[in-house]
Amino acid sequence: MWENRCQVAVSGVGFSTITRSAEVPLAAHALQAVKAAVDDSGLDMADIDGLATYAELPASGHAIVDGISIVSVNCMMAMLKLPNLSWHVQVETVNIGGAVQQAVNALLAGVCTYAVVWRGMHNPRGTYQNLPGTYAQGAAQFTAPYGFGGPGQGMAVAYTRYLERHHQPREKMATLAVTQRQYANKNSHAYFYKTPLTREDYLNSRMVAYPFCLYDCDIPVQGAVAIVLTTAERARHLKPRPAYIAGYGQRLAFEVAGRIGSLSNYMEGGSSSSRLTWERSGFTPKDVDVAQIYDGFSASVLYGLESYGFCQEGEALDFIQDGRIELEGELPLNTFGGSLSTGRIHGLWHIIEGALQASGRAGERQVKDVQVSFVGASAPIVQGTTFIFVKEPY
Amino acid sequence: MTMSDWSKVTRPIPVPNEWTKPFWEAAKQGVLALQHCQSCGHFQHPPYATCVNCMSIDLTFEPVQGKGTIYSYSIMYHAGDQRFAAAIPYASIIVELDEAKGALLAGNLLDAPSTEAKVGRRVEVVFQKLNDDITLPQFRLAQEEA
Repeated sequence: MWENRCQVAVSGVGFSTITRSAEVPLAAHALQAVKAAVDDSGLDMADIDGLATYAELPASGHAIVDGISIVSVNCMMAMLKLPNLSWHVQVETVNIGGAVQQAVNALLAGVCTYAVVWRGMHNPRGTYQNLPGTYAQGAAQFTAPYGFGGPGQGMAVAYTRYLERHHQPREKMATLAVTQRQYANKNSHAYFYKTPLTREDYLNSRMVAYPFCLYDCDIPVQGAVAIVLTTAERARHLKPRPAYIAGYGQRLAFEVAGRIGSLSNYMEGGSSSSRLTWERSGFTPKDVDVAQIYDGFSASVLYGLESYGFCQEGEALDFIQDGRIELEGELPLNTFGGSLSTGRIHGLWHIIEGALQASGRAGERQVKDVQVSFVGASAPIVQGTTFIFVKEPY
Repeated sequence: MTMSDWSKVTRPIPVPNEWTKPFWEAAKQGVLALQHCQSCGHFQHPPYATCVNCMSIDLTFEPVQGKGTIYSYSIMYHAGDQRFAAAIPYASIIVELDEAKGALLAGNLLDAPSTEAKVGRRVEVVFQKLNDDITLPQFRLAQEEA
């Protein structure tokens, strides 16, 4: 087991207003989320001395303007003017989970005391994913000429392979979309808070990139979420009950850029990342009381359930049936609604919900008697970051 | 089900680089050539700096027959890029070649309705000229089956 388990905790969490399109610059959303997280902890902004983010705009073919389409560390520093700032980082791989893990490391190293991590996501005007212009450079030269645009179609061919290889019908995914929407209907921050979704809605929805229909794709939104991390000792003296980090892991899934459709990767990326998390925390999938698994596309949840070890390869579409992932079920899953229903904010919202469940702060969505709360914060077919939060240090 | 109308589609044009130039030079001649490891015999695609199987840098482009099976596919219904709108719904496929397991090539399924795309269907390479410099390897259902 990891000697540093439960030495760092998530304290406050914060949300911005989530809108469909950009009504105010993304920097305003990020600032709103960061202020809310600091307030939730009961801290003053001047207490914050560490900053971390993953700033990428996943939409392709749009201008990158700091403060409008991304919110970099530099942008946040300029807004906050923190008098005691002593550490900051902006990670380039493994998405926002990597930034959270860097903050954990910085706190363990003692180079900062209260770190804030935020994720801002911009929804640009026009088409979200654009093919390259007249010319296709780099890896895109082997995909874009055939009409493969952003990640959607690459994920779609992998999902077709999955369904055919395991003899599964895509209709079974309706259970995931509908269950997550029911959770979102209990989450006032979610984009689809007041919008129900039925099985019929899912089954009748328009196809986007077969086998993905509209409700297999998370909805692009404009918004930000944030968390405050600190050492366990300090966290115990703050307002909210801490969610202790018992272990984490990370792993990029190895695949040459431009090679798409293969499933060889997700078991590697997801199992490597989660194995580190199981080993460091000392838990196994059977110990987990509630799980949040990244769902930018619905199929990522299947890859997560299988590669993290919650079920066998090819079984995830059956695993999610029969109430198993509902609030009273064996493994309540994506209890905040997931990206499919909160909107596309990447994995930090999964991390937030994992922490809220561990600290008993999930309100109407709270799973009973949570001790062990698991989070897979990014798509294992691309990259894996995994976390375990616990209620009590051990 | 009607076939996709590709005549009105303007495709992004590939830009060859140091790794990929021999692939496009061969395609211009109507030949499908893939990176072949001289050390372990592994074929790979897309081209890469090293053999992804054995780390050798002794890689040579060699012709392959271009017959294989559909490894996977997606049918695109959403006109994300208006240049492809005329072809919707169209099948984008991933092909595994008989001689080059592990090398996955993207393409469109030409001369057939998109509903003909199925995992395991036999396909063969055909060549589609984009301009004087670039010819695109594409796929159609294998004639032996048709």
